Parts: sequence; structure tokens; C-alpha cells
Amino acid sequence: MSFEEISHTADVKIRARALTLGALFSEAFLALMQVLYGTDRKGGIVKEIQIESDNIESLLCDFLSEVLFIAEVKGLVFLRADIKIEGLHLTAILYGESFDPLRHSSGTEVKGISYSGLIIQKDANGYMLDILFDV
Amino acid sequence: MLEGVSQTGVNEWEVPVGYVPGMRVPGKFFLSELLGKSLESGAIQQLANVATMPGIIRNSLAMPDIHWGYGFPIGGVAAFSLDEGVISPGGVGFDINCGVRLLTTPLAQKDISGRRDLIEELFRAVPTGVGGKSSLRISQPDLERMMIKGASWAVDSGYGTKRDLIRCEDGGYMKEADCHTVSTKARQRGVPQGGTLGSGNHFLEMQLVSEIFDPEAAQAFGIRLGQICCMIHCGSRGLGHQVCTDHLKLLEMATKKYHITIPDRQLACAPITSTEGKDYFGAMAASANYAWANRQLITHTTRQVLAKMFRIDYEDIPLIYDVAHNIAKIEEHEVDGKRMKVCVHRKGATRAFGPDSDEIPFELKKIGQPVIIPGSMGTSSFVLRGTKTAMEKTFGSTCHGAGRIMSRTQAKKNLSGKDITANLLKAGIIVRAHSENAIADEAPEVYKSSDEVVNVVHDVGISRLVARLSPLGVIKG
Repeated sequence: MSFEEISHTADVKIRARALTLGALFSEAFLALMQVLYGTDRKGGIVKEIQIESDNIESLLCDFLSEVLFIAEVKGLVFLRADIKIEGLHLTAILYGESFDPLRHSSGTEVKGISYSGLIIQKDANGYMLDILFDV
Repeated sequence: MLEGVSQTGVNEWEVPVGYVPGMRVPGKFFLSELLGKSLESGAIQQLANVATMPGIIRNSLAMPDIHWGYGFPIGGVAAFSLDEGVISPGGVGFDINCGVRLLTTPLAQKDISGRRDLIEELFRAVPTGVGGKSSLRISQPDLERMMIKGASWAVDSGYGTKRDLIRCEDGGYMKEADCHTVSTKARQRGVPQGGTLGSGNHFLEMQLVSEIFDPEAAQAFGIRLGQICCMIHCGSRGLGHQVCTDHLKLLEMATKKYHITIPDRQLACAPITSTEGKDYFGAMAASANYAWANRQLITHTTRQVLAKMFRIDYEDIPLIYDVAHNIAKIEEHEVDGKRMKVCVHRKGATRAFGPDSDEIPFELKKIGQPVIIPGSMGTSSFVLRGTKTAMEKTFGSTCHGAGRIMSRTQAKKNLSGKDITANLLKAGIIVRAHSENAIADEAPEVYKSSDEVVNVVHDVGISRLVARLSPLGVIKG
């Protein structure tokens, strides 16, 4: 399980791999948090979110967009997420802490989660995705 | 130049119908041979994708700062017929009315050279970066007024002068704003962020007018050699981002409902006359107005800092002009010899209306609209003027900046924030940001040469150079 930033001129493009769909979404979530707030993040506060969408790509975009909203409005920075996906329904338990300007200011704001170039695939090794964050 | 693209004139190129399936019109872009070397095939693919959209008029266009984005390419411009055309958030972007404005001051270089205290004070006064919150207490009714009245709400509330409004594109607000289609989520994000700069490529920069190309236009705009200016680059913050996210989802359903075929989900769209299209347009205009109010609030803070530190009058820091570069507007243009209203999308492109346009301030009618082009950190920014050629060739549009050539991953690998800061300081430029990462991300090396980009628009004639602005100090998110 991993994610990496791959070359994109204007924005942040992430490629992730995982054995299950839930873990794959979790990697995209971790990438988003790292871009926003850097690597110094802790757990403690727990938050649950539920999302339902029309297709799997929308489910990922809707989930990450909801995370962006919660993080910004509630002033939370998340360390990790446990994600369960059943069909097109997602339940995520997010573990995080309050935003601390001294430790969480090394990242950049993500303006939106783009559908451009969004790929979610299953192959012999599990799942992979490409996703673009507008920064 | 890329395969399949043909040259149609000096710095003018065409992407023929058929480059991607379903193109209704050819693509057209403006680029020098030198800039062509860094052109990405992904950007041309996106330019061609836009040409497949219903009701597109004449061409899918791109300015010389074209690069690979999402939906439209960055630097993309397209006009759509109001009867048969569509409106798409992919042609505006998440940061609705990201834009730039320029203020002048009565100060000279000797007054601010090496003044780190000024940059520190601006950094303290203007909230920047991830998690940056406004010290203003914006109430829900205030937010509503920001979305309806834009910069004029800020001026009426004491954050500016009446003259500022004359010097904003559209007077600092779009009359089509409709708050009913702005979600509670977007409002929640908008309240704490009024007057904040954001991060990424957004900045506030102190600059020196270092060269005048067009003395008559410079004088009319209020710019003189040796003058100190301040440039502010930011947009509609979380409110605009949420409006784009919300309406993208609604428009995706509309795309299916109206049986529109699109090659990229980010180009989700609806007929301009449909309920979904009107709802997005109303919410987008409300976000654009929030952005104009936001830039006005930052202007007020900047003026307060400068007035106090240098004992100059608030009124002696006039606004030269404010332009949007991520927006969709209903404008009147000449199509096939007839004047008609069209919906112009500008995604990383600036309005550049020529002389005699009704939309520009009366005192500038003979000259054309001021066009403000920010450079990258450490390189020149420019003031240009709109032209009749732009009205004929690009629906009154020109470039919006330098345009990236290096990815953020590569930038971080190649460049250290510390070295860049030290190099800029040697060149007399003070940089202040929350992190070294933010500096490495936006280093001068990651952008095309802003000189080369503005030279192309000048040579093609879609805007003409007026003045060069050299950086002296910058704050970033």
C-alpha cells in the first residue's frame, strides 16, 4: 500500500496502490492530508462520515471533497482513516487533531478534487488510482 | 511544435477539427517557437476537448501561457452561443474569479528597499496560507451582501474608496449573482476567510515601475517610472471552491439529462438557458463578487499598513485596475458581422477590452482596458492595455501570467526554499512565506519567462505592453 506524487505541471497528481478499495481510498485520503498539512499529524479526535454516490469515481471525489470541507470548517487535521466501502456507500472513521499553525503550515491549500484524468482500476496486484488535486 | 498542429501565422497555431473526435470548431493558440518547446500534449488535448462542446463559437482558444490543467487548459478561452451553447465549471476552475489588482503609491525605491519590517508587517496584517483566518467578523447578512454587491459592499462598509469601484472589471461585481444557489457549506467556508490571501501561487508583492513602454497609456492609467506599486493576487477562497465542487456534481447529472457528450468529466456542463446552467452561473457570479470583495478587503489592510509605516495618505494609494482571470461572463461581441451576446469562459485568461468599449472607465476609453499580468516570484510583472485586435481575435482576451513549466514534485527535488530565498535576497527581493516548501513550489524556475509570454501577446496584438514592474518584496501563503 502506498501513494506517490507523479509529475503534473500545474497541480498535484497522485498515484496510489492498495489491496482493497477501502485501503485505496485511504491512500488518496492520506495523500490529500499530506499535501494540505505536511507529515507532522496526530490522532485523538474521531470523526465519522458517510457518503453515497452514483459511481465509484464520484464516491472517491465526494469523499475527498467532504474531507476538505470538514478539515477547513472544523479546523481539523487528520492522521489516518478507516474506510469501509459497500457497493457505492462509504463509511469512514477519521482520526485527527486540531489545526496547529506551528506544525501544519508547511502544506498548500487544495482548491478542489478534479475528475480530469481520474482513474480507478483493479488488476492482478489489487487496486490503483490516479487523481488530480487543484492547488 | 507538436504533431498535428499547424502554423497559421507568426505565433499563431491551429489544432484542426478531427484532432480529437467530435470537435465542432478548430482550436487556435498563440505561442512563440521558444514557448512551443515546453508545450505539453495534454494541454492541446484539453484545448481540442473544449472544441467538442455544444454551441462553441469560432474557435477553442488558448493564450501563450497555455498549460495542462483540468477541463479547459489553463490559458483557455471559449465563447458559447446563448441559444445553443453550454456553461461549464471546467471553463472557470475551482478558484472562481481568481484575479489580480494593482495599487500605486507615492513612494520611491529608496523608501522601501531592504525594508524587511514592511514585508513582515504585511505578512502579519494579511492572513495567508493554509488555515489562515480573517480577523474580521463577517456576519451572515454581510456575507450575503458580499456575494450580491462584491467590492462595493466592502467600500460601503469603509474598506476602500468609491474610485476603487470604477477601476474594477465590471465595477467589482456581477449583477447576475444569485445567493440562493450558494450552498450552506460554501457559506460556512466563506465567513472566516474574507480578507485572506490563501496559498499556492497567490501573493501580495511590492514592486517598482522599472520600465515604461507606452508613456501615453501609462500616464492615463496613473503609472510613472520609479514608482512603488503593490500587486495582490487571490480569489474566492473556500466559498468559490465549494461552489465549483457542488455545481460540478449537479452539472454532471445535467450533462446526462440533456444528452451532452463530453470527453472529460471535468467539462460537465448544461445549456446556458437551462435551470442547472442558470443556477451555476448565479452561484459563480456570487463567488466572483466574494472574490472582488476579498481583494478589496486586502487592499484596505495593505493601505493601512503603508499609510501608517510611511505616513502617507490612504487616498494616495489608488487602485490602477482589478481583473478576473477565472470567470464566465455574458458579453457582447461581433460574430459573423453581427453584434451578439455570448457566454465567454476565461480559465487562466484576462479580459483585454480595446478602446471605445463601454465596459471600461470613461477616462481610459481612448487607451483601452488596463490588463495586469503577474509574473512568477522574482520575475517581472506587466501592465498592458486591451486592443481592438483582441476584440476581433480572442473575444477580448489575453494571457493571465507566466504559466508553469515545471511540476511541483520536480521543483521540490531540484530547488531548496532556503537557496531560492537567499538568491532572491541577493537580487534585492525579500520573500516571506509560512514554509520553505511554498517557496520551492513557486520558484522563478518553475514558470515560463513572463517576458516571453507578454511579448507574444504584444506581437500578436491582443494586448500591448505599457509598463514593467520589478519585484522588491513578496508575501506568500
